[in-house]
Amino acid sequence: MKELPKLGPDALVRVSRQGGFAAISALARPREIDFSNCNEDERGRICSVLERCLPESTESVGRGDQRFYQVELRFKDKPDELTITIPEDRAPSELVRLWDKGDAKVP
Amino acid sequence: MPRLGSFNGFIPPYILSRIIDHGGEHQRSHALGTLSHVRSLLHNPGPPGVRQAPLGELERTDDERAQRSIYDAKQGMHLPGTLVRKEGQAAVGDIAVDEAYDYLGATFDFFWHVLGRNSIDNRGLPLVGTVHYGQQYQNAFWNGEQMVFGDGDGEIFNRFTIALDVIAHELVHGVTESEAGLVYVNQSGALNESVSDVFGVLVKQYSLKQTADQADWLIGEGLLTDKINGRALRSMAEPGTAYDDPLLGKDPQPGHMRDFIETREDNGGVHLNSGIPNRAFYLAATAIGGYAWEGVGRVWYDTLCDSRLTNDADFSAFARLTVLNASHRFGAEARETQAISDAWGGVGVYLT
Repeated sequence: MKELPKLGPDALVRVSRQGGFAAISALARPREIDFSNCNEDERGRICSVLERCLPESTESVGRGDQRFYQVELRFKDKPDELTITIPEDRAPSELVRLWDKGDAKVP
Repeated sequence: MPRLGSFNGFIPPYILSRIIDHGGEHQRSHALGTLSHVRSLLHNPGPPGVRQAPLGELERTDDERAQRSIYDAKQGMHLPGTLVRKEGQAAVGDIAVDEAYDYLGATFDFFWHVLGRNSIDNRGLPLVGTVHYGQQYQNAFWNGEQMVFGDGDGEIFNRFTIALDVIAHELVHGVTESEAGLVYVNQSGALNESVSDVFGVLVKQYSLKQTADQADWLIGEGLLTDKINGRALRSMAEPGTAYDDPLLGKDPQPGHMRDFIETREDNGGVHLNSGIPNRAFYLAATAIGGYAWEGVGRVWYDTLCDSRLTNDADFSAFARLTVLNASHRFGAEARETQAISDAWGGVGVYLT
């Protein structure tokens, strides 16, 4: 059972789009979210998006120039980091919106 | 599966800043258009040739002719889309359809006539390509069964069928999966990418009948629009010089091991560090001279098909096998063998 660790105000979330034939770094457009700048409701909505990603995540991504999303979670006072990769064709639309707009609206 | 590990540093968001500062919402919205996710991509079933349900009515053939089928996704993301041109049919007047058809044929011909390989799996696998995939989609890929080409956004990228070597590059991903199966991460992934660039550029050179000295050694020439300051996506001759643009930044590819990029981006920099074996190939080809596909190209192909090449091979392992294969094909003292050995040394990859 895949589970997210508890994400409190010390969490940092980074979402980027990776890979592709034209894997130019600029197109990864990483978006970083510092949870200390989010209220509880906002954090909850982002966590919901990330939880939607877990069933779609796989370590085998990118081959043959297929694009994928990379979600990296880290914590200000802990060395641990969690990395989740999701193939583009399986990425929830909420994740794409979070990457593209920084918007974590959850239907 | 999520991966839990130690944090070894964070990639600075300099690229994000550049896009925000210079790209504007227009660029971002175009990218979003490529990302309306429809779960239509077929899952990769493993190496080509083991697929249980062929697309459409296509069947294998032992004939040396390509068996091409081009589909139109009509800006959607369902694959393969609508069949618009089958093998033997006349041009349809849609430039993406006809480029895909022609360039897949040129790639097939190269593998058949130069290397004696019958299609992706060497068993006549039909070639399936889909064009007009997604809306302003900025990519081309091989999904384990077929090749897929976006139209580009018109701002950064033109259509992805525009360059013969791009189409060949994607087809060669299928060849690599059929042979060495180089794992798509870190050095083996960079080798996977490099092999696609190498044979992509050889298909172009073969088509143009260019010698190593005459060739431009560019990957994706014409893919970048006139609005971007760049010649192509990658340069095998001079990695790191293909583009230098306010929006895209500077081509970051290294051409020597001293500049090897350790990164967690892009599967460990598979599209970055591929510049190193790419340049090794270029150095060997230009040192030998003549048609690159006749000398060093054959050695690279021998190596790709060599059972001693493990799927997690690093640059040194691949390099050693190229020298062994050159020695086997041309002789231990042959200038081809020496040129290949020297080329690896020239990019800082050592054979011991």
